[in-house]
Formats: sequence, structure tokens, C-alpha cells
Amino acid sequence: MLETLGLMGAGFIHALSPMNLLAMVASTALGITIGCLPGLSAAMGVALLLPVTFGMDPATGLIVLGGIYCGAIFGGSISAILIHTPGTPASAATAIEGYQLTLKGQAAKALSVACYASFCGGLLSCISLYFFSPLLAELAMQFKSPEYFWLSIFGLTIIAGVSSRSILKGLMSGILGLLISTIGMDPMEGVERFMFGQSTLYNGVNTTCALIGLFSMSQVFILAEKKIIERAKAAKFKMQYGLSRQEIKRLMPTITRSWLIGNILGILPGAGATIACFMGYNEARRFSKHKEEFGTGSIEGVAGSEAANNAVTGGSLIPTLTLGIPGESVTAVLMGGLIIHGLQPGPELFSTYAPMTYTFFAGFVLVQFAMLGIGLWGSKVFAQISRLSDSILIPSIVVLCVVGSYAIHNNFVEVIIMFIFGVIGYLVRKFDLNAAAIVLGLILGPIGENGLRRSLYLSDGDPMILFSTPLCWMLIILCVVGIFSPIIMGRFEKRMLDKNS
Amino acid sequence: MKKVLLSLAVAMALPLSAQAWTPQNDINVIVAYKAGSGTDTGARLLSSQAEKFIGKTLIINNLPGADGKIGWTRLVQAKPDGYTIGFINLPTFTTLAAQKGAPFKTAQIVPIANHLTETSVIVVRADSKIDSLKGLVDAAKANSKMRCSTNGVKASNHTAAQLFAKSAGIQYKAVPYGGTADQLLALRQGEVDFSCAKIADVAKLVTGDKPELRILGVFDKQRLKEFPNVPTLGEMGYYGEWYGSARALVAPAGMPADVVKYYVDTFKKVMSDPEVIKAHQTAGLNLEYKNDKELGELIKAQEKFARDVISTLY
Repeated sequence: MLETLGLMGAGFIHALSPMNLLAMVASTALGITIGCLPGLSAAMGVALLLPVTFGMDPATGLIVLGGIYCGAIFGGSISAILIHTPGTPASAATAIEGYQLTLKGQAAKALSVACYASFCGGLLSCISLYFFSPLLAELAMQFKSPEYFWLSIFGLTIIAGVSSRSILKGLMSGILGLLISTIGMDPMEGVERFMFGQSTLYNGVNTTCALIGLFSMSQVFILAEKKIIERAKAAKFKMQYGLSRQEIKRLMPTITRSWLIGNILGILPGAGATIACFMGYNEARRFSKHKEEFGTGSIEGVAGSEAANNAVTGGSLIPTLTLGIPGESVTAVLMGGLIIHGLQPGPELFSTYAPMTYTFFAGFVLVQFAMLGIGLWGSKVFAQISRLSDSILIPSIVVLCVVGSYAIHNNFVEVIIMFIFGVIGYLVRKFDLNAAAIVLGLILGPIGENGLRRSLYLSDGDPMILFSTPLCWMLIILCVVGIFSPIIMGRFEKRMLDKNS
Repeated sequence: MKKVLLSLAVAMALPLSAQAWTPQNDINVIVAYKAGSGTDTGARLLSSQAEKFIGKTLIINNLPGADGKIGWTRLVQAKPDGYTIGFINLPTFTTLAAQKGAPFKTAQIVPIANHLTETSVIVVRADSKIDSLKGLVDAAKANSKMRCSTNGVKASNHTAAQLFAKSAGIQYKAVPYGGTADQLLALRQGEVDFSCAKIADVAKLVTGDKPELRILGVFDKQRLKEFPNVPTLGEMGYYGEWYGSARALVAPAGMPADVVKYYVDTFKKVMSDPEVIKAHQTAGLNLEYKNDKELGELIKAQEKFARDVISTLY
């Protein structure tokens, strides 16, 4: 124990070297930039900088990759808040409340809330990295096909949460998302479904494309339709960007909750930051004392989403480093980087290579501070974007959407897909359906389908496999609670009101 | 006067253009799999080492999707001007090219060199009761629903399992997962009973103090140097040929001969360099250089394999 503490301390000392500090600041800034540009994902940024890190000391190289990862996950919130375009899918839920805040002239506050929440989520997830790695790694090993199926069902209960107006329409949107998610190669039989011969659709509709189309492009269509006569002179722009003590106190429970959600989802390969941000948002809403704010600009909503997606970063490192199972796409690239340096994930990293690993962990912690500093400073600057007139903003957004969707895979077909989803998103708005629910269905569909079909295939069609482990039952209980708690809590509140009146 | 100078310049340029070709710009390297995958990791390592010899940057262009189809279609469609090369996986490339209506054919690429070779092995969990190939076959004969995880329907590891099963006369359940990482995770979690993977994927899981997995057999004509106790499938009376995947460097067909020669010679130098060999060993990758002619023969052999064997396999 003492030895480990000694290693941790040594890690911090090494991490504070000038080279590493420079690496941290530069990579975090670069990460934030990559994150706020729609279509450029964190994984892409990490992959781009991988060759640069080959010549570096392994710890420094890893710190660079970690900085980009954390910066990008935060950076996505910038464009989500300012122009209703999640820079990365991980900030999709942030766009819901964040953009409303911008319309009220509170862009600066929204950005600083996002920055602060991201910092807390990331920093707290480092705690689990240091102290709970073996435990969480073991938990990751317990998630097999049936458990993933129940996880996706729980995820779908979030749809009720994000449907502020009509639950029925929210469910319809969710089912639409599920239907769209069936496009592509059948995972169990290898049959082409709804692909119309397009190789691009082999892995289904790309989530980032759909997201850019549904959230951003549709916004462009709607604004263009209004002919931009009455601009959002909605509210006078407020430059206040700090957080008052009271607000921080109010946000702490949300941030803590989102940290736990994000950290645990992070350790599950395939779950990822996107699901975490929606879950964090939903739980923030479920437990909020100011529910009426949701839908019209709630800082708790922004904090809930952003704390969760940054908590994923620390969590996803755990299975990557201990078991060699990447938590999600960015950590897969990181693992590739480790392997090239000759470092195999596993117990060796904590014994033979412990000094390097702990330097990396310390660097990861310090990166959060770099992100806080750069983010808060950047909030001042970026918030000014919300003051731009629509005639400048709209063409810029269109350019970002097109370039962003092309940049994912250098594939023009995906730009077309993005436009199609833009039209779908426009119709969604017109019919008061729910774009976030569609995205949720799109992401959770494959997870749920793979989980269910593989489970049934493994058990020869016996559905009891879905109820076979304690973890399954825990998830089932979570689902039931998730579905019924709004109803129960609603009745409870009504009774309280009746009592008081 | 101008005319004289101009014609002098043209006269000078003609012999100069007959000099050996060298790249004047950065080179685009197409990798048909996503960043962080096995192929990508190997490609990045080689490209970064090769930059020292070529003097220009090799930019890795990840074009994932459709099991490689998207990237390879773009590769064969690229201009054969010497500034685009790419990595292919065998047998996947030849299998896909042999299918009806394939967007590319093996004739549309020109071989440069083979980079890595990964031999397939059969693995079970270290705590499994099965400790030999014969044990596995007996267990499968008793229970025809033994589960084997694969990296996808008819993907390379599924083919390996089929080759083994057909040669041993057993039935089993092939459960597809999204890729090698997922399939091995399923095995480690105990969701399936056995799996076929490449030696590099399992190397660290079968060695050390507490190995998680155990290798039962290897798809090769002779035993592996690193695992002399593991029998080949052929020894035990099952599939006797080599099977595995090869990662090779190719260029779009139509590239001028001197450009191809440049790459062939350069990569021969790169892969013979002791530092490069050491870097591959450190990363656990099995460097097996084959020159362009040998690679061409390998591609032809894989084509034959795809036509004759794989078509009857499933």
C-alpha cells in the first residue's frame, strides 16, 4: 500500500516536468478545438496525433493522447451550446438545454457550467482509476450478452425522460430510431438489411452523421424558413460567466450522480459517452427540484450531461489498461499506441511499468485542470459567437455540417445521409416529435439487438438466459424503476400538493 | 532567343526524366480498417519506420467499413501516380474480390511487399477441462452445440473454425461478434467454449504467470518456435495446410514500373533494417517480408483458396 502511494507521488513529480506540462496544455487545447468542430471526433484526433507520439517518451505520449481525449469530450459542448450542433455525439444531450440557454442570452454561463461539470466528472473519474480499477475491471467482465440487452432497455427508458411534451410522441421517435438502427448488415446472419447496395451503409447509419443532420441541419432549415426577420433578440446577452456559490451547491448532487453514471458506463465496452450523457441528463431531470426549467434552459441539464460524458474518460481507461479491452473507440486507439511502444495492457502495466503508468495517471489528473483553465478562458471568447447575426451563423453552420459529415470517413455518401437526416429532423420539429429520442433509439438499437439475439442463440432459444445472473436482475429492477418512477413520483408530488392546499 | 532557350530546356528535361522516380510529395497510405485496430497498428508502425527511408511523410488514411470493401474500393480507384498505396488483408481481400459483383478485383492491384503474417490458432480458457485438440473433438462429438466465438459471419476466424470442424467431422455453433477483441472477450468471460484467433491476438493471454487462455493447436505445417509444445492441426490428423492472415502492401494497378520498383526496393530495405525488426518484435508483430513476386504468388494461392475451398466450406 505504502509502495503504491510512493509510486503515485512519484508519478505526480514526473508529470510536472516542463515537457509533460507543455504536452498537457497543448494537447488539451487541441482536443477542445477538435471536439468543438462537428464531425471531428475524439477518436480521430487521437489517431491523428498517434504518430507524433511515437518519438516521445511513452508517458508523455499517453498524456498527449489523454489530453486530446478529455479536451475533445468537453469541446463538443461548445458547439452544442452555441449552435445546437453537438461537436461530438457525447454532447448530444447538452445541446438540448445548452442551446436554450444561449437563446436566453446566457451562453457564457452555459459554457462555464459545462466546463466546470466536465472538470468535476473527469477529475472524479480519476479517483476510480487510482483506487477502484481492479473492482471495476471485474465488473466489466461480468457484462455479457444478456446484461447488454437489459442495459439497452434501461437506456430506452430515458426516452420518457427526454420527451418533455408528449411521451407518446417520444416513444414514436424512439421506435423510429430503433427502426433506422436496423439498416446495415445483420450482426448474426450477415444478411444485408435496407442497404440498397450501398457499401457505406454496411455498418448502419453513422451516428455522428445522423446527429449533425437531426440537430444542426434541421435547425438551419427552420431558421431559414422563418426568414430570419425577428432574430433571437430574445434576450440581452449576459456576459456573466462565473458560477455563484449557490449555483455550485445546487449542481453538486447532479454532478456527483452523473460522475457515477459516466464512470460505470465508461467501463463497459461499447456503451460509451453518448449513452452516458443522455443518462446523466435524464437522471438530472428526474431528481431535479427545478423540473420546470428543463426544456427551456436548465443548467442542471447541462451539468448532468457534461459531467457524465467526461466521467466516461477515466472509466474507459480501466478495462483498457487492466484487461486490454478498450472501453470505446478512443481508448482503442490509445491501446494501439501502447502496443506500439511495446506495452501490453495487463498486470505488467502496474508492476514492471508502474512508474510510467502512474505518471500517465497523474498527467490525466492535471489535464482536467488544464481543461478547466482553458475552457473557462475560452468560454469568454466562444460565448461571443452567440452574438453573431443569423446571416453569418447559418452559412457557417451549413459549412461545418457538410465538412464535418465528410470528415468522418472521407465519404461523400455520408454528407448525403446527413442532409436526409436534416430533412427528417425538420419534419420531426414540425410534428413535435423528439430528435434526441431518435438518436437514443439509433444508438441503443444495435446494442439491444446484439444482446438479445446473441443471448438467444447461445441458449438455443431459451429466454431464461436473460434472467440468469444477479447482474441481469439488478438491471431489470433499474428498468422497472426507470419506467415507473416518473409516474410514482408524479403521484407522490400531487398528493403532497393536495395535502398542502 | 527565347525559342532557343526553350528548346534547350526541353532537350535537357528529356534525359532527366529517365532518372529513377522518387516521391516529391507526401504519400497517402490507405488502411481499410479503423484506427486502433490490428491492421491499423501494424500499418502505422511500418509507415513511421519507412518515413526515415523515404524522406516524405506517409499519411495513414483510415477508410473503414464493409469489412474492408470501402477502403479497398477507394484503393483500386486511386490514381496510380505513385502517391497512393495501401494495405490489404489476405485472405479477406481475395475472398471479397471473388464474390459476384465485387467492387474490386485482384487484377486491379499490383503487389509491393508482404508485411506481417499471423497464423491462426485454436484457444480455450486456461481453466477449461479441455486440454488437447482431441479433447476438443471428443467434447464436440458428445455435444454438437459447443460454442465458438468468431470475429464475424464468414470472417477469417470463422473460416478457421470451419476448416477445423470439417476436417475433424464435428458440428459446433459459431457465434459471431463484432471483431477479434470482442470474440476473445466472450471467451474470457466464459460465454463461449473455444475460439480461433491469430497468434498475435492471444500471445499475451497465453503466457506469463497466470495465463487466461490456452492454445490447443496451430494452423501451420510446422510447430511455432515460440510454442514448441503446441501441436499443429496436421499432426493430429486435421486440416494440414497453413491458415492465417497476411497483411501486405500493394498499389493500384497501372502504376508505372519504375514507381513500383521504387517501392519494392524501399520496403525491402525498410523491412531488412535491424531497428525496424526490433520495433516489430517490441510490438509483438510477426514481421515476415516477402518481395513483390512472392506476394504475387501468395495472392494467387489465396485466390485459388477462396475459389476452391471457401466456396465449399459453409
